[in-house]
Amino acid sequence: MFRISVTVCGRGISKRLASSFSGENALPSNLRIPSNLVDRARAKRPPPPSDSSLPVLRRCDAAIPVHLSPVQTWVETLERRDSKLLGLVDLHPDVFAVPTRIDILHEVELWQRNFKRISRAHTKVRSEVSGGGRKPWRQKGSGKARHGSIRSPIWRGGGVSHGPRGPTSFYYMLPMKVRVQGLKIALSSKLAQDYLHVVDTLNIPTPDPQYLMDLIRYRHWGESVLIVDAGEELPENILQATESLKTVNVIPAIGLNVHSMLKHEVLVLTLEAVKFLENKLLWHNERFTPLYPFKLPYTDLP
Amino acid sequence: MSLLRGLLKAGVSLCHSTLQTTRQISTGVCCLVRMNAIPELKKVDRWTEKRSMFGVYDNIGILGDFKAHPKDLIVGPVWVKGFRGNELQRLTRKKRMVGDRMMTQDKHDMEKRIRFLYRHFNRFGKHR
Repeated sequence: MFRISVTVCGRGISKRLASSFSGENALPSNLRIPSNLVDRARAKRPPPPSDSSLPVLRRCDAAIPVHLSPVQTWVETLERRDSKLLGLVDLHPDVFAVPTRIDILHEVELWQRNFKRISRAHTKVRSEVSGGGRKPWRQKGSGKARHGSIRSPIWRGGGVSHGPRGPTSFYYMLPMKVRVQGLKIALSSKLAQDYLHVVDTLNIPTPDPQYLMDLIRYRHWGESVLIVDAGEELPENILQATESLKTVNVIPAIGLNVHSMLKHEVLVLTLEAVKFLENKLLWHNERFTPLYPFKLPYTDLP
Repeated sequence: MSLLRGLLKAGVSLCHSTLQTTRQISTGVCCLVRMNAIPELKKVDRWTEKRSMFGVYDNIGILGDFKAHPKDLIVGPVWVKGFRGNELQRLTRKKRMVGDRMMTQDKHDMEKRIRFLYRHFNRFGKHR
């Protein structure tokens, strides 16, 4: 399904490029475009006018280091299809403007894939295969090769000598600060690549999935959207709308993780989700090393 | 089939000899790999429920006040959840945690395997 949509996009891109031939893009006619190319219309979407003064709706709660300044992005609404900007929002640079370390992202992604993995591949050893207790024929004189049991690994139907044994787990934990840094780097790269959008609330007028798809296509956000809200109670309309959609998913902020951010092209955060994430992720910059596990009571947890 | 092929080849070689072009030599090795059609790529849906929701709640400790640990999310046998070890360590852990609930033949096989692995790791080889 995904591949079909991608080939359709590819054809659409080539049609648009062919139509803009006489314009500023002088591309050769026999140019072959890969089908997973980013939508060119997205690069051409008009940036919001720079002269309009938008109010700053939220400043950072935590103290920002003196040598850094907060990153800003626009706040949008989901209530109308056309993109009406409500204001600006300040984002903490230690969460949203962290230097990008792809190796940490890779480590965290591999950790997410492997720590849950339990391989249930199991083969029987020669002692576990039924039968094979008796010597098949006498040692000498029968003219056949000497054998001790019919279930030895060289026999057909015999046990496997060095095969997978039982449920095996690949569990390991990366240090907490590495996982936190992975989240920060993922958020920063989404913001830097223009794939992060901040929204005031998730209230949409209709529970119709088509409304969301129209909105996403009109605003040229991307192919797959991950919507994150703080708190457990999500509005019913958006839950109903995204239930039937495959590439648009809603998760609470506790469920945010690097793999989902890499899988979905666009990340949409609410203002409360931004506040929640900044609060949780900035605490690790200035915390003490745990004398006892964090699950036991502390006075100053975030 | 081979007769026809031979006749065709003879005919072709005759034609070629008359037209004075290059000779065709066949040793009969070309037709060993038979592929009547290139197999189709299997269609994988990259956006199933499982694939799109993979990894959600993996950071439940960091983002959720440390009330839960990611190892609580793992689905599997009790003696292997949140634990990693070689075969002997896994089997001894299984015997401790689940041994009294096991079936007799399975338990007997497991005990034999533990005995074998203990001797293997502690008495043979370079690392003991």
